[in-house]
Amino acid sequence: MNALQYPEIKPKKKLIKRIYIAVMLWVVGRAIQAAAKVDSEVKEEFAKLKDNFLLKMWIWPNGPAMYVGKTKDGKVKYLGWKDKGYKPTLTMTIKSVEAAMLLFTFQEGTAISTARNRLVVDGDLPDACALVRILNIVEVYLLPKIIAKLAVKRYPKWSQMNPFRKHFGRILIYVRAFTF
Amino acid sequence: MQLPAYYEFCNSVKTIVGHKALEQIPQSLKAINAQRPMIITDKGVEQAGLIKIVQAAMQKSKLKAAALFDNVPADSDVKVVNEVAKIYRAKKCDSIIAVGGGSVLDTAKGANILVSENATDLLQFVGYGNVKRKLRPFVAVPTTAGTGSEVTSVAVIANHEKNIKMAFGSLFLLPDIAIIDSRMTKTLPPTITAFTGMDALTHAVEAYFCLAKNPLSDTTALAAIQLIAQNLVNVVKKPSDLDGRLALALASNLAGMAFSNSMVGLVHNIGHAIGGVCGVPHGVCMNILLPYGLEYNMHKRSQYIGELLYPLAGEEVYNKTQKKERPLKTVEYIRKLIQDLHDATDGKHPRFLKEVYDRSGKQMIPKEKLPDIAKTAMSDPAQFYNPEDLDYNDYIMVLEAAWEGIPLDRKKIKKG
Repeated sequence: MNALQYPEIKPKKKLIKRIYIAVMLWVVGRAIQAAAKVDSEVKEEFAKLKDNFLLKMWIWPNGPAMYVGKTKDGKVKYLGWKDKGYKPTLTMTIKSVEAAMLLFTFQEGTAISTARNRLVVDGDLPDACALVRILNIVEVYLLPKIIAKLAVKRYPKWSQMNPFRKHFGRILIYVRAFTF
Repeated sequence: MQLPAYYEFCNSVKTIVGHKALEQIPQSLKAINAQRPMIITDKGVEQAGLIKIVQAAMQKSKLKAAALFDNVPADSDVKVVNEVAKIYRAKKCDSIIAVGGGSVLDTAKGANILVSENATDLLQFVGYGNVKRKLRPFVAVPTTAGTGSEVTSVAVIANHEKNIKMAFGSLFLLPDIAIIDSRMTKTLPPTITAFTGMDALTHAVEAYFCLAKNPLSDTTALAAIQLIAQNLVNVVKKPSDLDGRLALALASNLAGMAFSNSMVGLVHNIGHAIGGVCGVPHGVCMNILLPYGLEYNMHKRSQYIGELLYPLAGEEVYNKTQKKERPLKTVEYIRKLIQDLHDATDGKHPRFLKEVYDRSGKQMIPKEKLPDIAKTAMSDPAQFYNPEDLDYNDYIMVLEAAWEGIPLDRKKIKKG
């Protein structure tokens, strides 16, 4: 039997899913940058992180990815999807395209994704805790309640996030995320 | 039984259990191709005469330890890990037998990383998955019935100079063999038996109701809970009960298997913070906080918490209790267990945070420390696996109730 007669089987690239995930990562990255300017709680969480904080969130093994970091003047910036030789201080790896789809179609929240070992974190654990809190707030701003409730453990009540803060913040974050 | 859409479970440790299980050491070492073991332990274990039992078990087959290190401190330290690795290399050892509690086992795991990877700096292996290949043969002999470290894939080692704790996680940190021998826990004082037993119970209970629960961890968790409920108070009252000792050591092992796969939640989250801020032993915190962890999560996990009544209180109580009352009855049963242990130790086993004293009689958790504890807890990753979310005010609410010793007012718990 000549092995060369058999074609090499390559995994499917799942192009549509990758494009969807790349768009979602872009939206989340831009929204984090916007929320750090608009929301006092997110601002406070970022202020506590070290000056060289740099997050890489990516899908193993070939991406897509997104980078968010603090600049020299302490501002939070979405740094794009390309690795420009960054040295992330916190890496959140989603183990497969399918796992990322579950997460970004809100069939699984961040907590369940972590519990099922589909999302692994490498870096300082206190930073990871802060980032999960930031992501939760960003998701509440970005998504309608019916979907956000699937993504976060506890949807904030009026006493934690009053309607003015939520709706006004949502408008500002959307405007800032989608304008350059 | 909950069948999650996806889960993972790994336990590759060969476990040998029995009243004279240590006698299997020579054969077991031979099976993993080890001839020059290094024994790692601490002064307390050595002075209790437990190393002599291990050595006697080895000598029957003319096997001798190539080195003995008996100076592991109560809190594992990176300097000690380096020292152990140096001796291991100098004496040309080829395997490790760790005899002790959590600190000894973690130190030994750290040293095994260094000698197996031929490295000098543990820092490069910090985090999850950074130990990437099989380490040297490792035998774990636990001398407490609480931590379950002999079947966990993690180690925590402190760097006291930099004032940080380094956490290591890798399936390669799982020992090759765990030997559970009743003689190893026979001399544990009643107070330590009580809180280490409650530590094991907390591992099993949190594994059963937190977010990463799965059918395989459920099985080991339920067995552990039943063994602890049936034996803990009896052994505290009668420390020489070797069958009870063996049952508790096995329960700790089973609970370790459960929680190292399905993780833990709020009780460990706050317990780690109290340990960090006030230096309170881990098991003491677990014992006090367990009922509060159940109360806080009850609105989300009432079914699972109710199911715990069966292994805790037995078939008769379970059947007599209406389904909707079972979750609260579970909490009530655990509070009664804590009270029984308090009575059996003449009041030395604390029930509330304000009752925790050090050896000099000084209160270890002053009320003014609660805000610091809450802030520290917000940075602990055990919160990821807790069913309900927590913010600073939630931590304070739980801590204040646990400090005073009053049940949580469940109406005040925020529900999303």
